[in-house]
Amino acid sequence: MNHKLGNASPPVKPAGLMLVLGLGLALSSPQAGASESEVPPWLALGETDVPEGGYSAVPEVLTTARLRQPKARVPGTTTVISGETIRDLGMVSLADVFRLVPGMTVAAVESNQPTVSYHGTVAYEQRRLQVLIDGRTGYLPSLADVDWNAMPVPIELIDRVEISRGPNSAAYGNNAFLASINIITMSPENTAGTGLHVQGGGPGIRNYTAYHGRTRDDYSWRVAWHRKESDGFDFQYDTGSQLRKAPIRDGFEFNQFYYDGVVQPSPQHSLELRAGIVDGIDQDDPIKIGSDLGIQNNPDDEVRDYYLQATYGFSGLDKHLIEFQTSYQRYNRDKDWISCIELGGTPAPMCARLNEDLNQHRLEFELQDTWEINPDLRLVSGLGYREDGYESETYFGGSGNIYQSRLFANLEYTPLYWLTFNAGANYEHTSLMDDSFLSPRLATNLHLTENQSLRFVYSRAVRTPDALEQRADWAYTPRNVSPSIYSDLEGQRIDEEFDSVSPVDFSSYYTEAPGDLDEERITSREISYYGQFRLGSGVVSTEIRYFYDELRDLVAGIINIEDYDLGNRVAIDQQGIELETALDLGDTRLRLTYGYMDQEGWYTANDGLSPDEQQETVAREGRLSVRHTGSLAWIQRYSNDWSSAVAWYVADEFRSGPYQRADLRLAKTVHGPRVSYDIALIMHHYLNDNPLLSRDNNYRDRNQFFLEAGVRF
Amino acid sequence: MTRMGMGSCISRKARKVRRAGLLPDWGLAFVLLLVMPLALLAQPLNADVVYLQGSANPTFNLRFTELLQQQLGPETEVRRFSSLQTFEGPPGPVITLGQEALTRVLEASTQRQVLALLIDSDTLAGVAENSGIAISTIWYDPPLLRQALIGRTILPQASRMALLARPGDAGRYEPLLDELADYGIEARVFLVTGDDSLIPTLSRALSFGDFLLATPDDAIYNPRTIKHILLTTYRRNRLVIGPSHAFIRAGVLASSYVPLPDYAARAAQYVREWQRTGNLPEPSYPDSFSIEINRQVARSLNLPLPDREQIVEEVRALLRQSTMEVRP
Repeated sequence: MNHKLGNASPPVKPAGLMLVLGLGLALSSPQAGASESEVPPWLALGETDVPEGGYSAVPEVLTTARLRQPKARVPGTTTVISGETIRDLGMVSLADVFRLVPGMTVAAVESNQPTVSYHGTVAYEQRRLQVLIDGRTGYLPSLADVDWNAMPVPIELIDRVEISRGPNSAAYGNNAFLASINIITMSPENTAGTGLHVQGGGPGIRNYTAYHGRTRDDYSWRVAWHRKESDGFDFQYDTGSQLRKAPIRDGFEFNQFYYDGVVQPSPQHSLELRAGIVDGIDQDDPIKIGSDLGIQNNPDDEVRDYYLQATYGFSGLDKHLIEFQTSYQRYNRDKDWISCIELGGTPAPMCARLNEDLNQHRLEFELQDTWEINPDLRLVSGLGYREDGYESETYFGGSGNIYQSRLFANLEYTPLYWLTFNAGANYEHTSLMDDSFLSPRLATNLHLTENQSLRFVYSRAVRTPDALEQRADWAYTPRNVSPSIYSDLEGQRIDEEFDSVSPVDFSSYYTEAPGDLDEERITSREISYYGQFRLGSGVVSTEIRYFYDELRDLVAGIINIEDYDLGNRVAIDQQGIELETALDLGDTRLRLTYGYMDQEGWYTANDGLSPDEQQETVAREGRLSVRHTGSLAWIQRYSNDWSSAVAWYVADEFRSGPYQRADLRLAKTVHGPRVSYDIALIMHHYLNDNPLLSRDNNYRDRNQFFLEAGVRF
Repeated sequence: MTRMGMGSCISRKARKVRRAGLLPDWGLAFVLLLVMPLALLAQPLNADVVYLQGSANPTFNLRFTELLQQQLGPETEVRRFSSLQTFEGPPGPVITLGQEALTRVLEASTQRQVLALLIDSDTLAGVAENSGIAISTIWYDPPLLRQALIGRTILPQASRMALLARPGDAGRYEPLLDELADYGIEARVFLVTGDDSLIPTLSRALSFGDFLLATPDDAIYNPRTIKHILLTTYRRNRLVIGPSHAFIRAGVLASSYVPLPDYAARAAQYVREWQRTGNLPEPSYPDSFSIEINRQVARSLNLPLPDREQIVEEVRALLRQSTMEVRP
């Protein structure tokens, strides 16, 4: 052995001798004579044994029950999309990933904000998903929707995305209402080395990623930089009497920096550390904010986010794995502009600087114990505490906090080889409503064969209103006011109190939430089948889900300063069937998804709204709901390191019409002995000219081309 | 001196058989003194002694000797090699167990042919050049072709396989790569240039290969590195085959191995060949093998696996397509 790996490594003994020694040890053990295949511990590999039942490296389903489970034992249908699939298909934006999930819809609101949902419902402020990024809550603290553009997750570093389809409050609390998404990034242990990647084209999309890291026995780390830019959609229609195409300001540019570390001083202790900064501009269009505000310049969001996260794991107790996680996130958004507003009865418009600055933070603690009583009886339990804070002069007239504390548990029990039970629940108290809620889930998995399971799942979940829904106190405070006749307004918050004494009518420039919203409730029933088969020289896996959901007391209406009107006033019944199947033939990989949903909503409140208004309110709660969703992906490898991917995505249909897109990626990946690099051409082809969800979300060209290059060493 | 003490056990059974004869001990010794020189001059054929230099592990030595003796039968006596230090015994090859045992035998400047067991190819190549005596071996590490075909059988859709190698070793896998091409498997070697490059190289290798074939290179696959290798591999939803069944407990999915009785039987065949021809056969692999599978890993990876016997049969059928096995 003239070349050894690592100076710190112990001298490497000749394999043969170690084998002999180990064989001897094995034979000297009590069971040694029982079987000649008894593995000799000749390399002292015992210390590296993976804990029984806890193959932490194996990408089992993690999200649904907080247990690492093979799909056969998971209490609910779960889609797992690997980072490799995402990259092979040439995805250029994170939200596009969810087009691969049956039942999920992806669209955009305000043109510049991607919105994602499972089984639709409202498009604006879609807040019925739990989104986790490496275990920390990823939706915004005050208004529980998701900023997909600024999300600190580069596609290049995604390990996998798990989508637990169906209510998952039993595991993750109140916001896991329709589904939960867990985005898991690659461990720094996996990305040691250096990688550079660039992707650009289409509507001004440019993604740059660079990372470098190292792996040692007791410490692995990675630092990464990611820059993402987009020009957004190409044009909108202005608000004049005639529809005319107008430029739209809906792009973004972000710089993101990350640090990820894993410290493992001994096999029983591990500490994961994560930190990240997001800095950039999220453009907003004056017309989209509201023409009545008379915006004179660019009302862009200046984004300054950061997060800190630590997860400590201790496996030193027999059959227990203790995990403690804490994270602190800060979302700072500065947004101001110059408005010139015609006020009734005044000689000149008032011009002033208005702002929608919003600073939010979230502090989370979570303690979890996974107790493997035996391989067929496992209990995960824990408690969590979360503080969601917000500060905004405009939205809240100050600052506030919401405190949530909760207990959760899930028991997995396999009494017979053909039967697994899962019983879980989450009990949560929130200061926003000063009330507590229980979200249970029961599941029975029948293992028809070793690789086929039939699941029956019953779950109930709640969603409590978020801060903006319950506590909005929305009013602007003009500054740098001109002309001087309006100097009395300088620094004056234009709210109801001021309006009552003002000679000018400001009533359309402030609003306040009544604060009387109750929780939303969902009851879900699922029958699903999962099977995996060897088919010729390949493997085929299929998952079919039938669901029947009852959604009650949905908070519906408008979150808008001019017409803020929310109430628990809509109920929805929905049922459908979804298919996800994949065929892996090695060089050929096929993946097909299809979702059919029949959704019926009705107005439940008796609040004096006209039938038309009621119908509009109900329709708004179905704006992101479509009857058919589907995708087809074909990834093919050829000789000489060439590969291709063809994908087709469909959502049929939004009110703006069906969404259909076909993607093609042609790539050459050179796997050299010391360095790998790839170049690729990506084409997105829109099969129709339908705008996406809104008439203002338009591309000029139905074909978009992107180039991609990367190197790893 | 445990080894000496246990060594006395090695040939106890054989001596007992001898003592069952008609002549008393002193008579036997006298006859041997007269006959042995003649026998030595006459021919090495039909010799009935084989000398064994065991490892430092007496329990293993005893077990192997028992298995070898069973295969050779009572006509062939297994003696300690150290007995030759005081008495130039009858002709017979020397069997060594492990590298250290081989070194001891070579240091004793023996001119006897040596069947060096439980050594790797590097060791054999090194001593064969310098010793000047005939050395053969029976490989214990599984042949890489067989290991690769296990991967193919477990993952029938696999068409690409990755190997890790140190820079100077890449060339030795060329024959294997050529042979795998006949099975429709494109294999590629990725170079690990040092400690820091192991995981980056593995990560790139996994981007290429449907599974990783771990080779018996203990500079790459050892107790310190195997955990990182497995973590990285399984996170990428890939499999690891090999390098030996000893790694199965650590989390490797599968490996083939030679059951020790089969290994001893093969050694006995070599001895009998020596008895017949006066020469040990060329190094070879035992024909028989079995497969060890980590079913828990397979379940976690959602891998539908056939029975072990079925895998063995499929691999045998594939191997019948190839008449030559390739050494790393």
